[in-house]
Amino acid sequence: MLRGFYTAASGMIAQQRYQEALSNNIANANTPGYKADQSTLRSFPEMLMEQTGSKNIPTTQGLNMPVNRTVGPINTGVYVQEMVPNFVQGDLRETGISTDIALINGTFPDEMGNIFFTVQDENGDVRLTRNGNFTVDGQGYLVTSQGYYVLDQNEDPIQTGGSEFIISEDGVLLAGADETTLGISYVANANELEKEGNGLFNGEAEDVPADATYEIQQGFLERSNVDSMQMMTQMMGSYRMFETNQKVLKAYDESMGKAVTEIGRLA
Amino acid sequence: MSRSMIQAAVTMNQLQQKLDVIGNNLANSQTTGYKSRQAEFSSLLTQEINNMTRPVEAEERLTPDGIRVGSGARLGSIMNDFSVGSISETGRALDVALQEKNHFFKIQVAENGTTETMYTRDGAFYLQPLENSDNVMLVTKVGYPVLGEAGPIIIEDGFEYIDIRENGEILIRRDNQTETAGVLSIVEAEYPQILEASGENIFRLPNLAELGYTLDEVMDDVNAHYGLLKIGALERSNVDISKEMTDLLMAQRSYQMNARTITMGDQMMGLINQLR
Repeated sequence: MLRGFYTAASGMIAQQRYQEALSNNIANANTPGYKADQSTLRSFPEMLMEQTGSKNIPTTQGLNMPVNRTVGPINTGVYVQEMVPNFVQGDLRETGISTDIALINGTFPDEMGNIFFTVQDENGDVRLTRNGNFTVDGQGYLVTSQGYYVLDQNEDPIQTGGSEFIISEDGVLLAGADETTLGISYVANANELEKEGNGLFNGEAEDVPADATYEIQQGFLERSNVDSMQMMTQMMGSYRMFETNQKVLKAYDESMGKAVTEIGRLA
Repeated sequence: MSRSMIQAAVTMNQLQQKLDVIGNNLANSQTTGYKSRQAEFSSLLTQEINNMTRPVEAEERLTPDGIRVGSGARLGSIMNDFSVGSISETGRALDVALQEKNHFFKIQVAENGTTETMYTRDGAFYLQPLENSDNVMLVTKVGYPVLGEAGPIIIEDGFEYIDIRENGEILIRRDNQTETAGVLSIVEAEYPQILEASGENIFRLPNLAELGYTLDEVMDDVNAHYGLLKIGALERSNVDISKEMTDLLMAQRSYQMNARTITMGDQMMGLINQLR
């Protein structure tokens, strides 16, 4: 069987998946706190090709000896190994709405360290998000746009008593005389987080270490860090890769066609 | 249909709604007391796909197993921006502007046979003659009675002069005598985000019992004091046209970008189709 058939097909599948990541990024180019996915392509594990043949030993009986010769390693295709969110800080955009809050990264002790708001999802589990597009629900609690409670440092919902409140740069929410500290979590290796949709991340978080710096801005939103121009360019590149693989597949098909119709044909 | 096309189609639909919100803001950029709305996006569900689960394949991975593909974006919230609009002088005696944020006039709206108290910041008032009587009533532009501290403000005919004071008092002059015809009732919304826009520049309250509130908790009466109102002036819409235009352009470009995604997805399908 022609091995390249599958190699070309795997190339097409991988490029399709790549496109999915890119188009999702483009779709979320306006989502506050969205972190663009970067796909990584990887070849299938290498395998060793061996040539099997036989060698004729010139004796009176005409002995044949089997001979195996190593040809070399080969890959038989490519796949999207993973999609890694790019945790680079997004630009800030002023909205003037007091329930919009943006996190601004300072310096962190770990290379892949990052900070998040903590929220409680519908199952009561603690999740992380960078989308600071909050609102105040009917009961006066600070919630995300999905209605998930934004948590304070003790993992309790935050009562604002209406939407008139002030948040200081270090994350203390002042509503009337009540002071609540927003629950900001630190993740030492943000790559280990799993995206769950609705802007939520799931993973192990810890308290913000003493040597990490950050700032909180009220009335601002962190824009999506998707660069649409770059996405479009990558998309075109990926499209052409897809097309190239399709051409290869067609070429294989033609060879197969020849094999079927022409080999063994009596003139 | 491929996943990338679905993502883009879903998002385009939501972008369309954002365009609607922006369009509405632009249309109301000259509406007295209009509060602009802002639509913000939120990402949609993420699907986890298992792929290549053998340990060999997990080598050099940065992220947990599987790959997570999102499914587009949706409008997360549409919020009212309750900041005060600029105040422009009109010189008209019955034009009243509220100077403080979250303050509202109370009006009485009769809908489907029931009367409900609603709220507005549009202070362009008029006097409307009442049926079968010589009296006039203070009403809004649309004709809803404006509520004073003692219900609708009805003034007997035959006065020479009407004057609204900065503390909401309505003075009329009749036969060289000044008398008070009523006091405008002004409330402050404690939880402005629960107010629902109900058209004609009016806000209404949702079902408070469901939210576990009483009316007093949500709407505070504001004590009449000087500086509460500005007379002979109207509050302009708080829509910032340049910001809306920028948003409009960005939403439009996003829309095009997503449309391109669909085209590209379609072309890829075409390529697959041409395989044989």
